[in-house]
Amino acid sequence: MLVSLKWLSEYVNVPQDLQAFCDRLDLTGTGVEGVEHVGDAFANIVTARIVSKQKHPDSDHMWVCLVDVGQNNTDDSGNPQPLQIVCGAQNFNEGDHIVCALVGAELPGDIKIKKSKLRGVVSMGMNCSERELGLGNNHDGIMILPQDAPVGVPFAEYMGKSDTVLDLEITPNRPDCLSICGMAREVGAMYSTDWKNPLPDAASKIVIEGEAPANAVTVSIEDAKRCPRYTARLIKGVKIGPSPDWMVERLAAIGQRSINNIVDVTNYILFLYGQPLHAFDCAKLADANGDVNVVVRAAKEGEKLTTLDGQERTLTSDMTVIATPSAGAVALAGVMGGLSSEVTDNTVDIFLEAATFEAGRTSRTSRNLGLISESSMRYERGVDDHEMIERSAAAAALMVEVAGGSVVPLGKGGCGYIDEWPQVSQPKNLKFRMQRFKEFVGADIPQDFAVDALRRLGCAVENSTDDVLDVVSPTFRPDLEREIDLYEEVLRLWGMDRVAPTLPASAKRVGMRTKSQEISAKVNEVLRASGMNETMTYSFAEPGDMARLRLPEDALGMAVQLLNPLNSDQSIMRQTILPGLMRSLSYNLSRGVHNVQLYEIGTVFSTSEGRKKPKERTKVVGVMAGAMGNKSWNVEYASFDFFDGKGVLESIAYELALPKVRFRALDCESAPYLQPGRAAEMLSGGNVVGWVGEIHPLVCKEFDIDTVVVAFELDMNALEKSTQSARPYVDVPAFPPIEVDQNFVVGEDVTHEKLVQVMNSAGGKLLEDVRLFDVYRDDERVGVGKKSMAYTLTYRAADRTLTSEEVERAHERLVNKVVGATGGEVRG
Amino acid sequence: MALKDELRKLEQDTLSSVENASTLQDLETVRVAVLGKSGSLTGYLRNMGNVAKEERAEVGKAVNAARQAVEEAIDARRAVLEVAEMDARIEAGAVDITLPGRSQQIGSRHLINRIIDEVSDIFLGLGYTVGVGPEVETDYYNFTALNAPADHPSRSMQDTFYVRDMSGDSAAVRGESDVLLRTQTSGAQVHAMEDKPLPIYMIAPGKVYRRDVADPSHLPQFHQIEGLVVDKGITFGDLKGTLDHMCKQIFGSNRKTRFRAHYFPFTEPSAEVDVSCGVCAGEGCRMCKGTGWLEILGCGMVDPNVLQMSGIDPEIYSGFAFGVGVERIACLKYNVPDLRMLLEGDMRFLRQF
Repeated sequence: MLVSLKWLSEYVNVPQDLQAFCDRLDLTGTGVEGVEHVGDAFANIVTARIVSKQKHPDSDHMWVCLVDVGQNNTDDSGNPQPLQIVCGAQNFNEGDHIVCALVGAELPGDIKIKKSKLRGVVSMGMNCSERELGLGNNHDGIMILPQDAPVGVPFAEYMGKSDTVLDLEITPNRPDCLSICGMAREVGAMYSTDWKNPLPDAASKIVIEGEAPANAVTVSIEDAKRCPRYTARLIKGVKIGPSPDWMVERLAAIGQRSINNIVDVTNYILFLYGQPLHAFDCAKLADANGDVNVVVRAAKEGEKLTTLDGQERTLTSDMTVIATPSAGAVALAGVMGGLSSEVTDNTVDIFLEAATFEAGRTSRTSRNLGLISESSMRYERGVDDHEMIERSAAAAALMVEVAGGSVVPLGKGGCGYIDEWPQVSQPKNLKFRMQRFKEFVGADIPQDFAVDALRRLGCAVENSTDDVLDVVSPTFRPDLEREIDLYEEVLRLWGMDRVAPTLPASAKRVGMRTKSQEISAKVNEVLRASGMNETMTYSFAEPGDMARLRLPEDALGMAVQLLNPLNSDQSIMRQTILPGLMRSLSYNLSRGVHNVQLYEIGTVFSTSEGRKKPKERTKVVGVMAGAMGNKSWNVEYASFDFFDGKGVLESIAYELALPKVRFRALDCESAPYLQPGRAAEMLSGGNVVGWVGEIHPLVCKEFDIDTVVVAFELDMNALEKSTQSARPYVDVPAFPPIEVDQNFVVGEDVTHEKLVQVMNSAGGKLLEDVRLFDVYRDDERVGVGKKSMAYTLTYRAADRTLTSEEVERAHERLVNKVVGATGGEVRG
Repeated sequence: MALKDELRKLEQDTLSSVENASTLQDLETVRVAVLGKSGSLTGYLRNMGNVAKEERAEVGKAVNAARQAVEEAIDARRAVLEVAEMDARIEAGAVDITLPGRSQQIGSRHLINRIIDEVSDIFLGLGYTVGVGPEVETDYYNFTALNAPADHPSRSMQDTFYVRDMSGDSAAVRGESDVLLRTQTSGAQVHAMEDKPLPIYMIAPGKVYRRDVADPSHLPQFHQIEGLVVDKGITFGDLKGTLDHMCKQIFGSNRKTRFRAHYFPFTEPSAEVDVSCGVCAGEGCRMCKGTGWLEILGCGMVDPNVLQMSGIDPEIYSGFAFGVGVERIACLKYNVPDLRMLLEGDMRFLRQF
């Protein structure tokens, strides 16, 4: 909200030190988001007086003047010195008071005043015309001020144009601060100083005169909850026209454009007192017989209303309208008036509404229509239903002042207003336990301070006992409804900075991470140790992402749809992290970064019919492309392939002590995004925990990637279920091993896993380790469709040194079994 | 006697050969020639049988003396040559130690998680547990249970992503829903108060969503770290002390904090916390827009309504809560110029942290 300090200072003393004032506002809860100096346009322009005027020696129309600018130009000892200024105007005399732009001033039209020479004579400024000052079109000569105008005063200050406007952030709990008066009260509380409420004087100016209307004027409220109070006045015989300058200026200072004198009054009162008003053209409300029967009712489902902004709105029954029997809806209660009953140049009689409307409903209406107004913003936060007659009186009196006409007798006994008030809000009686407050804050705040602060905020405070204050909170502070609300008020005015920092005294706590966090930390460590770099991608996804992965749309469950996505590319929640990482990979490749190792641990989402909240699962996904690094003088990295990804998963499995880990080939059916033959799922204890493979070339193409991409995914939940806290300890060997290298030539269909299985079962207790050290294929030497698998077999006994005979026996048995089980053969 | 002279000569010749041996290999050749199986000196020992019986002792003694002298000389020479050869090897082995090392590629932690780790460690040290919560929440946990009931204006402070509710329920406002992407980690507070025994000392880091178009200073998804304490006798001073400690741990002990009164629906009193600007030390500069302060988090004492809704008696217990923007810390501490970099996955960015 914009607040003019000039306006504000009419009701409360505003400190001179602007910075300190803004800091105090900030610290007490009113954020200062901007400061604008309105008089800045008149910087270096001052009031002045012509001391002397002589003909320019070299010109027949210019004058060389000495101009008194007061303290704006002084000699070394500080005495005012007139400035020599050359001037071409003819309309002034010695002794005239004028406006002088000093060196450094900037005038409208980008004119910078500099020290200059005009036909050889030095000129130290400029005497200004109204047009030069941007104040009008008068350029007949320089602006002549009255003889009593002071000399040497900033022109903005002299003209009353100097103002500072603060842009204040009013939090949603403070509807009272959405007005100049409310801010005056707040500033009074901030500085323990009194403020002057202009309302009683303004309201007392009202004169009820003239004749009561011949026709009936009635107001009826159908639902008190929707409209707790509705008041109306009738101002007859107004003349619509421009507003007086003072009002235009005040509204302009807070960013409001002047419309006409009647509408401006409603705005002026709204900003001054926080009371939204609406002025109807009374003639447009009248029924055929001339009666005005205003009804506040629920809108009909589908009812239409064209609001003041010219838009036709379709209403729902949740909304409230002001209506008449003949015209139907004429205003959207609390949000905006209707176009048909708008005040126009031809309006003569004003029906002035001052009311309160239900906060939550106003908020909903506003949001449903996407229509936020100064009124709706106040109604949704809460407008005080008390003193409404006074505020309406102030408005009506001001209308008569600026637009003529008279406030005619109306209502009970011709009191001048109709007042329907079916639901009266009550001030709240609250306790304030002083000792508890001090303990809660942890500071020794004096009772006198608390009492004074609460009173200045508008509360009535009585001391019932030494410790407990009886506080009555005012109706304009709907946020003060509990004791804690009062604590906040006293604390913020006392100053949060004055409370000493402490730490909680209790020792009943221990810091802990959850199991899943610990596992996540371990996975992170292994991935980083494996050279993978953690990244983050959007949780949003493109609906086409599943197709990009060659997956049916429902392969990973039903996607979670956003009702209000930012764009169609991000209209659902991701069901897999892979597309996001593929995009990041593509991003890197397109920028010349060819070695990419990325991973993300994040949430994926899916839902199903009948579900409220979607299912969330945590996945760890990695992608690798290029190699671990560039070729270096002493290292050369192999290009990534399937086994780099598998190696990462094996390291994770080792670190998490996953039991019974094995990999099973994945076919195109179950993993269409992977290249068949280079794709596997990882199992632990028979349960699938993830997959690894090279991304299918067709999928790579979808992401504009033209290189081998190795990817893997693990399900964190599955890892958490499988992980073991520790592997059992195995004795460090005390006796030496005997290693035997052995090759087997087997068919391509015989897997390494199969060979190891057979060797392990055949090797018995003595076989400690099987390590594959070579895979060799050669159509001639090994044979077509065959491969030579070379293993180092480690034999060892835990309790003795093995003899070579023992090992030979065991090894022979092993070789025979392998050959028998695989149809392979041994070659030298 | 000739034999003795022979021996002496052999000894002399051998000693000089030993002395002249310039490599260990030369020396070994000399040793083998004299002391080896068919070495010259060995020959004398082998031929002892041919020596006259009465001379045998004397000859034997002489041979042994010669052998001992030779062996000693060889050992001495070997020691010298070994040192020389090692020196030569060392000299030849010198490398340009400015050549790059053979290091492993170590991966990097994402900056945001690095900060979350850092803050988690601070609070683990203070005895807090680290919790998590779901990213898709119901309206109840994101707003209502946090004292922002339906149609409360505080809801408009945050622009919310709504999710299609598959349960068939419909929301009061068109285009909205009971199910949403959480706009704050504060829902974790409610879950904790409902599920955990008292007292509670916890933080809950996590991803949150708001409907902001991505630009250098906004992202539609970002991270918060929620903190919650509920215990007997918790004071506003405790909140100040805790957050002051956190800020000093993160930004440095020379930094100051400032508490500005503010409004959040779920805390009362509420405050925003600023940390003194590290660039200008509070003097005012471009970084802090001339204020000397940088806004860092929101906090407050847990509102009694929030405690009550979770079944905790606010007359007995009090508490505080706070929410820190992790991206905000990233910007302030690491000068990340454009938040979108956090989601691009550019290796050249990621590997800096």
